[in-house]
Amino acid sequence: MLAFDRPWLLALLLCAVIPFVVRMLRSSGHPRLETTPTDPLSLSVDWGLKLTGAAAIVALVLGLAGLHRPGGTLERTGQGAHLVLLIDRSASMDNTFANRRPDGEEESKAAAARRLLLDFLETRLQDRIAVAAFSTSPMLFLPMTNRREAMRGAVSGIAEPGLSQTDVGRGLAMAFSLFEEESGTASRALLLVSDGAGVIAPDVQEFLRAEAARKASNLYWLYLRSEGSKGIFEPPAPNEIDSPQLRPERHLHLFLQRLGVPYRAFEAENPEAVAEAIEEIGTLERRPLIYRERLPRRDLDALAYGAAALFLAVLSFARLIERPLAAKVPRPMIAGPGGRR
Amino acid sequence: MTYRRPDAIFILLAAACLLAIFAAFDPRVTRERGLRDLLFVVDVTQSMNARDMVVDGRPASRLDYVKALLPALLSALPCGSRAGLAVFAERRSLTFIEPVEVCENFAPLTESISALTWRMAWEGDSFVAQAVYHALDRARTLGVDLVFLTDGHEAPPLPYSGIPAYPGDPGQVGGLILGVGGASPVPIPKHDDTGREIGFFEKDDVQQWPRRSNLPAADAAARPGYHPSSDLHGNVELSWREHLSALQAPYLQALGAATGLGYFGADLTADAFLAALARHTEPRRILAPVGMAWAPAALALALALFSYAVTVLDRRRRRLSS
Repeated sequence: MLAFDRPWLLALLLCAVIPFVVRMLRSSGHPRLETTPTDPLSLSVDWGLKLTGAAAIVALVLGLAGLHRPGGTLERTGQGAHLVLLIDRSASMDNTFANRRPDGEEESKAAAARRLLLDFLETRLQDRIAVAAFSTSPMLFLPMTNRREAMRGAVSGIAEPGLSQTDVGRGLAMAFSLFEEESGTASRALLLVSDGAGVIAPDVQEFLRAEAARKASNLYWLYLRSEGSKGIFEPPAPNEIDSPQLRPERHLHLFLQRLGVPYRAFEAENPEAVAEAIEEIGTLERRPLIYRERLPRRDLDALAYGAAALFLAVLSFARLIERPLAAKVPRPMIAGPGGRR
Repeated sequence: MTYRRPDAIFILLAAACLLAIFAAFDPRVTRERGLRDLLFVVDVTQSMNARDMVVDGRPASRLDYVKALLPALLSALPCGSRAGLAVFAERRSLTFIEPVEVCENFAPLTESISALTWRMAWEGDSFVAQAVYHALDRARTLGVDLVFLTDGHEAPPLPYSGIPAYPGDPGQVGGLILGVGGASPVPIPKHDDTGREIGFFEKDDVQQWPRRSNLPAADAAARPGYHPSSDLHGNVELSWREHLSALQAPYLQALGAATGLGYFGADLTADAFLAALARHTEPRRILAPVGMAWAPAALALALALFSYAVTVLDRRRRRLSS
């Protein structure tokens, strides 16, 4: 498909009539036109020059009007997934894995997550990715998109100091809602990155179970375990009270296991373990998917000008080699009065 | 064939041909262009739910108005400019998207904008001044200018001491405060735990008296009810109107003056927005190649048309002379 930047200039196309009205070559007087033989060659040259003149004008006007082929999208098949990143923005993410303030030597959990997720984005060139975050309330940072700069912009923001609480339940509810209804054959994956968990209210639990079944997404929890906190796989000690309030991480893990979707949890106690987990998720989430590649716009005005130059060259050449039928009026054979011939 | 001197029409056509060839090589000149890098911070506190704005001829909340306004402002920015998105609640801003190029990322940016809701607010407080200071600091670290959209409703009210002092360097970060809201106070919708609207905030639902975290005012001792041990602040005439909200334009103007930001009402056109930016931010200047093939091409077209005109004139002249 073709398009124009300045379509109103196309009104100038009317000028293309001129070559058919005005003859480019000289007209020569002829005493009796009926006597001239019909010459198909001459006629075709005449028409050829008219068309060439019109074509030159049309080409110039098309170029001036900004002829271009607009960029579109092309559907291709690749390997990847529709991915939702759900990131914990609670204040504890600002601490290091050793649960201290970052001191320049050791980066905070949020900074590590940011760095590793940005690296991860570079390996997922065909994915559609959405970014959401949660603290006291869920926040949609970026809806599902294929724009890589916007993804980087949204992931970059997570190193900013975090907020107060951790309401993981409503965060998950928002994350599930970000999957588009139509995702074709692409696999859906939800990657939860958090360093803690909270108690999920029963009504939110129920909503999550329904939503997970409907969206059929793979679920990954990357648990950034700080020093001193209990692991999610660790069973409680015999005389320890095993309640969601005391062991929210373990109980979130149990809840996610019961959600009815493929689920894996990764427990990372340092940035290297996070990198390994992210890499493993990356290899798991490679399934054929249809993605749209954006085609850049292609300007065709230079092409139009080139064509116009060619037509104009033909015209000027015709004008150059043109010879009048009779260059001069032949001198009369007989001298007129006064001896003038 | 005999040699003939090239005539005027040939010269016109040949010149047009050469100009068209020149145009086909896509000549460009580099020109300096001014781009803007902006962090848009949107107030998502509850007062932004007050419905005193109009969008598409219908009554709308202030937040809905901002959500309709921002895409228009973004599309006014020249391509190559960068824009980021953040929200304000409590006493700080939170960056959703760090500044990205506007034209390429227009779709995700506008989708993120349309997804903004008051439910994102992580706390109910609305410390506008602190949030502006925080957003300025955030914009400084990102190396961009700031556009802060708010109604200026401080909740709880400012302390007696007035606007807290700006700790930064006024004017270091350029930008605008855009005031959203109507001039007359309107009630603020109230929601229950599940987000359903259940009426409006009443007098007793909000804190009517100023914050007392700061030192008492100098004249506190003269106020009725002052007590050196139990009430250091003394009483003050309460207006009992803190549950209503209107655009606090003078307050935002003062805040802008203190921080070096320009204040404008948010009912500005895209052109007025660009003019305001030109006054209150420094553009990022880049040298961009600008195509100028149109100039020789237009000249070529003019010459080609002129050559036909010359033919007509020539013929008429000869007819007259013969």
